[in-house]
Amino acid sequence: MQRQLEIELIRKCKAGQSRFYEPLVRAYEPSGMRLAVAMMGNAEDAKDALQLAFIKTYDTLPRFDLRRPFGPWFFQILRNQCRDMLRSRKAKFNFEALDERLEQRPGDAERGPERVQERTAAKELLWKGLESIGAEHREILVLKELEGFRYAEIAQILDIPEGTVASRLYHARSALKGALSEMNAEYP
Amino acid sequence: MEQHPSPDAGAIGPDELMRYLDGEMTPEQRRLVESALEQSTELQRDLAVFRALKEDVQGLTFRSGPVQRSVWDDVNGSLNRPMGFAFLTVGLVIWLTYGTYLFATSTASPWEKLGTAAIAIGMLQLLASVIWDRYRDWQTDPYRNVNR
Repeated sequence: MQRQLEIELIRKCKAGQSRFYEPLVRAYEPSGMRLAVAMMGNAEDAKDALQLAFIKTYDTLPRFDLRRPFGPWFFQILRNQCRDMLRSRKAKFNFEALDERLEQRPGDAERGPERVQERTAAKELLWKGLESIGAEHREILVLKELEGFRYAEIAQILDIPEGTVASRLYHARSALKGALSEMNAEYP
Repeated sequence: MEQHPSPDAGAIGPDELMRYLDGEMTPEQRRLVESALEQSTELQRDLAVFRALKEDVQGLTFRSGPVQRSVWDDVNGSLNRPMGFAFLTVGLVIWLTYGTYLFATSTASPWEKLGTAAIAIGMLQLLASVIWDRYRDWQTDPYRNVNR
């Protein structure tokens, strides 16, 4: 979504016109859902978290500084929502549900069943690795690798100094590497 | 992270490697890392491992699932609910006040008034107790704003 359009929509929402919130919700829903699924481990809980995060975001819009980008701010609220829900319910990341969401690319069928199997097995291994490294490592990897946020944005979302993002990423990647090594997956 | 023998390579710590990998460096800083990489096979290997890991994680995708309904309708419902409740409350207060006034000033016999008042009070009491129970449950429900 264009920055100027986003600002205009937020301005309208701040004035209490909630119908202008719809384009924002629809624009951030897919990426929000990806982060929520990665944190919660299943689509059902992820959708609940996403819904609550959008409501909280709207409620706090009057305090939102229009000079700041909306995305990282929303993701910060979503991330806190996921963490709160995980804490309050003592819920655990559910790999089984995530596994069902592994996507087959259209070209997979042409590569033959063995190649597809190999790829699926490799992805399963990766998900298992992500599952085992814990929410803190997982969230930073999702923000960086799946959502493609810059360090400054990740720092804002995670509420940490920008200087520590590289270090957190190093520890997360090392943890994933270690988890995969334990499962006998060699890199590169 | 292993120790790198060359002084230049040794100056490149894990943070620098991550920032190089993620494209978060100035051209000057990149050149510094690249020259260190030329001198250290261990650093090259570390970078290759992290790069492969990065690419593989980036390759993970989520299927949106069969006909994933947008959360907008639920969000919109929650945003507009307070206003609906406000109108309902104002309307109820107006009607109750007017109804009470009509009831008090009517010329019906005292027995008719007494019977009607007993029924009305009983119904209001039951309604209030149900609402109070629901309110108590709602207060402790972590999913109170979630529409399904």
